[in-house]
Formats: sequence, structure tokens, C-alpha cells
Amino acid sequence: MGDTKVVDARGLACPQPVVLTKQALEINEKVTVLVDNETALENIKRLGTKLGFAIKVETKKDSTFEIKLKRKKGVVVSSCSAATAAPGPFIIVISANTMGQGNDELGSVLIKSFLHTVAEQPQKPDTIIFYNTGVKLTVEGSEVLDDLKQLESAGVQLLVCGTCLNYFEIKDKLAAGTVSNMYDILDAMSRAGRLLTP
Amino acid sequence: MLFKAVSYVLKAEKILKAESIPHKIIPVPKHISSDCGVCVRFEPAIQNKIEAALLNKVQIEKIRPLND
Repeated sequence: MGDTKVVDARGLACPQPVVLTKQALEINEKVTVLVDNETALENIKRLGTKLGFAIKVETKKDSTFEIKLKRKKGVVVSSCSAATAAPGPFIIVISANTMGQGNDELGSVLIKSFLHTVAEQPQKPDTIIFYNTGVKLTVEGSEVLDDLKQLESAGVQLLVCGTCLNYFEIKDKLAAGTVSNMYDILDAMSRAGRLLTP
Repeated sequence: MLFKAVSYVLKAEKILKAESIPHKIIPVPKHISSDCGVCVRFEPAIQNKIEAALLNKVQIEKIRPLND
């Protein structure tokens, strides 16, 4: 029980590092993960946060990363959820700053309610992708910033289309999430086990 | 703060925004109503400010504490 399980994910392609780490976290109190790229590092950090583990990262001399994860008191990682859950991440796509069609004033109220509710649910998505007018929800002045920041601190990845931010000339006003590109967005969407768009 | 209809909420929001009174439009919590609806959430301390801003402009239906 006091031993640390080591997961060497160096050289492994996504999503292997996350899959192996999750398996290890289910049955171990302490897990040390070794990765060799920043994407894997960020994914593992988010996984750890989401599952309630304390995280310590060390950059090694050979530019690999050592991530030490320690289970916080009272945290249980259920493996049965992996069996019943979809084989892939749960993704929400926000393709507009309104929800539904026909009336934008109402649509604006709905999308804000939607995101607020997503932020309150215990079962959170793995990633939320924003494009087209959806990116307007992630910049300064957006009324859902507090909900988005709450989601980020719970380990949800927010990807915001860079082209869209550029088009609306609001790239420098990004206040939540990270700027992403079509490759990462397509990659995330195609890996999804479940994809939902309001 | 609950209102009779969504349109009232939207009107209230416009007024509160114009007067820079901090608030948030959220779905009505389930323990208050099972109907779909939105309402205004605010810090108890500024209740008077909000009531004053909406007086004679938007009719308030009910004010309930968030956590019953």
C-alpha cells in the first residue's frame, strides 16, 4: 500500500499514457508517471486533478517529465465507471454563443444556462471545444467566465479555436481555455466516445 | 429572485447591467421549481439595490434563498 506504482509512458502514443495512468490510479495510493511530451503531461495533470489526486511535477535533465500523483483522503477511483462509460472522452462542442435557432436573445440566455449547469454537474466533460461565435463566450466580459474557470479548475480542458478568435479580433482578450487549432480540435472530436453539442 | 416569465428576467437583466449591479442569470434551482426557467442570482447584501432598480419597471414574483 505504501509502495509507489511507476508508469513509464515514455514513447507511448496518446491515449496510452492516460489509459495506463487511470488503471494505476484505480488501485494504487501513489503513482509516478514518466512522460516525454507536454501534451501527455497536461493530460495526466488534468486526469489527476479530476480524480482527486495531489500532483507534483518534476522536469528531468533529459526533458522528460516525472509526475507524482498521491491519492487524497477519501478519494475512490471506480473502475466500473470505465466499463460502463463510452470508450473515449466525453466532449461538448459549443459552436455558437446561442443555443437553438430562431431567436438569438433567447438563445443567449439558454447557452449561459447550459454552461452554468454543466459546471454544476458532478459528471463533467473531458473537453469543451469552442468555435465560431462560441469563442465569444471565452473572452473578457463573457457572462459565463466564472463557470468556465470553475470547469478548468476541475480538470476540464477548454479548447478555443484560434482562427475564430482571430476573425472576431478578440485573441488578446481570451480569459478562459487555451487557443487551439483545427488539428487538435478535429483530433479531440474524432477520439470522442460521446460528443454533445447544445 | 424569481419572475413571472423569461421576458421579465431579460428586462431585469438589461436594467441591472445598465446600472452595473452585479448579478447572474441562472437556471431556477430544482428545489425551488421543477419547471424550466431562469432567475436572477445576487448577493443578499445588495437586495435593496436591485429592488430599487427594478421598482415600477419589472415586477418581481418572489425572492427565495438559494440554499434552502
